[in-house]
Amino acid sequence: MILFYLISEFFKIGLFSIGGGYATIPFLFGLINDYGWYTTDQLTNMIAISMLTPGPVGVNMATFAGFKTLGVFGGILATVSLVLPSYLIIIFISKLLKTYNNNFYVKSVLYALKPAGCALLCSVMLSFYKSHITSLAAFLLLVFLFLLSFKFKKNPLLYIFIAAVYGFLCQFFHLVFI
Amino acid sequence: MKVSLKDIYCEFFMLGMQLLGGGYVIVPLMRHRLTEQKSWISEEELVDFYALSQSVPGVIAANISTFVGYKLRGKLGAFVSLMGIITSPVISILIIASVVDVLLQLKFVQTLFWGVGIAVIILMYLTVKEMWAKSLVDIPAWILFFIAFFASYIFKISPVHIIIFAMIYGIAVQKLRRKT
Repeated sequence: MILFYLISEFFKIGLFSIGGGYATIPFLFGLINDYGWYTTDQLTNMIAISMLTPGPVGVNMATFAGFKTLGVFGGILATVSLVLPSYLIIIFISKLLKTYNNNFYVKSVLYALKPAGCALLCSVMLSFYKSHITSLAAFLLLVFLFLLSFKFKKNPLLYIFIAAVYGFLCQFFHLVFI
Repeated sequence: MKVSLKDIYCEFFMLGMQLLGGGYVIVPLMRHRLTEQKSWISEEELVDFYALSQSVPGVIAANISTFVGYKLRGKLGAFVSLMGIITSPVISILIIASVVDVLLQLKFVQTLFWGVGIAVIILMYLTVKEMWAKSLVDIPAWILFFIAFFASYIFKISPVHIIIFAMIYGIAVQKLRRKT
């Protein structure tokens, strides 16, 4: 039964997440409440690792979540389920390629999906904030990275590296739980 | 000249290996390998495929690979290029996933990841900021943003339902606009 849920949930993510890697995050977050295949902490770890390894973030996270659920087989199955809907849709629309992006319905749907996708990501971001910013040390790191974002572009490697070093230093000075 | 399926698989396997930090880098990579070196696709096709990939559901890098594969060898070509692009990401994640739980039992690694979770929040914030500028273009878009946000954050409605609602909302708004 878990096999069926794994396939259907990732098929749904592939079908409904439009607009690139981060669009899958709200769906993966939703799965925590529905199935408990992994925890919120594991999801943020997964996102960070996905950013540091080769491949599209969405694919990486599907593999990761599938692995957490059903091992190696689950990882492969979740990934294939994720990319299957877009494969089918592309085969289907490839005959009307030239007109697809100018189609009234396609344009209207995309117009609405952008703000909705943005809102979903905002909502997950706030949930992550609530579960991660539980100490003064954590809050200080957040503020520091926030200030840094005015100076540096969106480079995952830089932010993750600084945060990891900070985590290590806090542990060194036993500050993590203040 | 027909491109062999084996060549397609190998090429996309190599592309998959080079996608670091998300799928966005795939366009310059494809331009270099597929347009300039191999002339499998033209510059114009690459731009078209990228635009289409963003408006089709799913992961953008996988979508654009499927489009290229389909152009080269039809349905089978699309399947082979798609499998090629996901092979190395899947293998690398499976290797990492099988050791990460063991590593996370170490206190040292736990503290590293404690900070990393906070970096993820900032990276999400930067993405939201980018999307914000592009998506909240008029009042109906703002209204939808707030509906979707409250539905998700307060009422915990599943993203699938919110996305379906947004699709209907978008069509309704644009239909009303066309009438007036």
